[in-house]
Amino acid sequence: MTTLAADSAGPKWLPRQLHGQLEPSPPDEVRMLVAPGGFGTAARILHEAGARFVTLTVTERPERSLVLVAALRAHLVAIRTPLRRGERPRHGRLGEWWPAARWLERELVERDAIMPSAEEEQRRLTVPDPDRIDGEVEGAGVFAIPYGPIRSGIFEAVQFLIETGGEDIPRLHTRLLFKHRGLEARFRGMNPDRAAVVAERVAGIASVAHATAFAQAVERALGVKAPPRAQRWRAVLAELERIANHLDVIAKQAETTALFVGQARFQILKEDVLRLQARLTGSRFGRGMVVPGGMRHEGCLPPSVLVDELDEFERQLRKDQRLFVGTASMTDRLIGTGRLDRELVEEYAAVGPVARGSGLSIDARHERPYGEYSRMGTVVQTARAGDAMARVEVRFGEIHESIRLVRQAADHLARRDRELRCRLREPAGSALGWVEAPQGELVYWVEVEQGTISHVHIASPSLRNWALFDEAFPKDVLTDFAFIEHSFGLTPAGADR
Amino acid sequence: MLEWLWRGLRGGRVTTRYPSRAEIPPEPFQGRVEVLEASGGDPSLATLCPTGAISVDGDGAVQLDRGLCILCGECVRGAPDRFRFQAAYETASRPRAGLLVGARGHFPNVEPVRADLAPSRALRRSIHIRHVDSGSDGAEEWEIQALLNPYYDIQRLGFFFTSSPRHADVLLVTGGVTEPMRAPLERVWQVMPEPKAVVAVGTDACSGGLSATTGATAGGVDRVLPVDVYVPGSPPSPIAILDGLLLAVDALTGASR
Repeated sequence: MTTLAADSAGPKWLPRQLHGQLEPSPPDEVRMLVAPGGFGTAARILHEAGARFVTLTVTERPERSLVLVAALRAHLVAIRTPLRRGERPRHGRLGEWWPAARWLERELVERDAIMPSAEEEQRRLTVPDPDRIDGEVEGAGVFAIPYGPIRSGIFEAVQFLIETGGEDIPRLHTRLLFKHRGLEARFRGMNPDRAAVVAERVAGIASVAHATAFAQAVERALGVKAPPRAQRWRAVLAELERIANHLDVIAKQAETTALFVGQARFQILKEDVLRLQARLTGSRFGRGMVVPGGMRHEGCLPPSVLVDELDEFERQLRKDQRLFVGTASMTDRLIGTGRLDRELVEEYAAVGPVARGSGLSIDARHERPYGEYSRMGTVVQTARAGDAMARVEVRFGEIHESIRLVRQAADHLARRDRELRCRLREPAGSALGWVEAPQGELVYWVEVEQGTISHVHIASPSLRNWALFDEAFPKDVLTDFAFIEHSFGLTPAGADR
Repeated sequence: MLEWLWRGLRGGRVTTRYPSRAEIPPEPFQGRVEVLEASGGDPSLATLCPTGAISVDGDGAVQLDRGLCILCGECVRGAPDRFRFQAAYETASRPRAGLLVGARGHFPNVEPVRADLAPSRALRRSIHIRHVDSGSDGAEEWEIQALLNPYYDIQRLGFFFTSSPRHADVLLVTGGVTEPMRAPLERVWQVMPEPKAVVAVGTDACSGGLSATTGATAGGVDRVLPVDVYVPGSPPSPIAILDGLLLAVDALTGASR
């Protein structure tokens, strides 16, 4: 593990105005301690240097601190300031000038009561009340539709307060946290080995991504690396999971246009991937394999069979994809719908296919390659238009890239190294761990003490991207809602934790 | 459009014949945990389970509550001579006690019910289903949605999803009921016409699962509503949910008799 000396000037790419004391940290992660009065200024300097907001949280190691994590030039920078009980930091609200920080800051205000809270919160974030209808837009015939938390169809619980005059949507307000299950606290006191089962159940459709981000955070905290063979298996499972998620989004787009054969075809392909996962791991969601230190066991299918299956899958996919992008009634509904400007996406620090559809080349597999990706290399799929169609194009591109990555990893799995797991020797430490989940960059903060997990914070891509969703309706009408929602491909379970 | 039609027809029939024919899971499938040896258990076996699904009484009798089991496999790895994953889809049970396996447990034999329902089920009397998420991890929703894909296609059996709870016979609930979801869930149940059946889908819905002890959920749907059918699993497979729906039909016809 390389560490920065506490007295060094820091890496060249750090803004020079940033005053603070560098602290030792695992690679690709820079930690800086700033005085309580300097926290707001440090955040502003990072923002002006073009850093992308990642998360804002309270950590317990080495002392209770308020921590801002941002991505700058592909590195993660964590700015920390100590918090004393009963004392509130003196800086103002970051969310006032950094929109990306708004929701996480509000969550801290409401849950931890540590942030400056001048006025009583009008709209409570953490205890959503589905019956409150508080429209803000005034005008003749404008009314507010509370859509959710129980909606027509089979959806996860989330509520949208849609203000509309009938067609256009002047304002949308998403209410999350209907599904908050307190899972971050559930990690506490578990040994790292066992805690992976909690990570797998934070967002079920991204089980492998959550388990891997958690495992890598623990490994970085304790200064070990999973054996190469384990990293290959992790990549295989993560890419299969990504394929299933993207197919789910595409099938839902077809469903929304009433393109029923297309819907059926993409549902079949998605089911094929879930069944392949079941044959490979015993679980349709790839659960029970990833664990801090490596993998629990080998995949249950030989890599050659896996590749054969994928060849056939890709043949089928190509035919359906060709028809999908050639069906005008389908693409007409997506082109120009839910257009997101690059500047807006940057301001809200969106990640994943949402950001890549607006031309931003953000992909954790490429920015901060982890595990097998540091050897394989990932081609980041982007599109320029920023509309729902661009996001579908990105997803199609990523499915093919994922197939390529699985093939490559499977090739390397033919090697005869057998080691799948390493021991976690160090009893304590803390680190960030990240992966590119199907929804975007997923970051875990994990603290380990006396061999057990003492604190976990999850910066989920769904929560971060949802802040942008409220802004995605500048020129769109009510009937575009479903297209735009599906094009984001987010999961409330991941956002609510 | 014609091209799509041709593409759809070329694919042929992929739909399962379940329930009239059994559906065989792939060999490594981890559908449920069985207790191989239920006597002479050491009390420490209980600590293997992160959700407290395993209990050992004074006589050393081992019991596993599938309603609490999240299929993590800690017990299978920790005591392979006692616990084993079964490659089976069906996990549903009508009485809660039917989820107990091991010493005093008895996983109910629902084969007669299935056999009875299977041939007559198709389109005899359609059943309308309303789904409510009260705090799942999102995987259960995927598995419920999968019931509508061509592989499972539950509409062939006369099952339909409905938007309005006022038209619904069956309430499918996922998640352990978080505080903000309690009132909406109760309201849905209240406006459903009689006879009605509630199906708890997933271990979270059966008992709260991992979130049972966090204080953020009620710890299972049956703390809020009367549950007729439990379908444990993390998540339960589409076949398991379909199996639960068939048991719900049995509950409904029993009630109207």
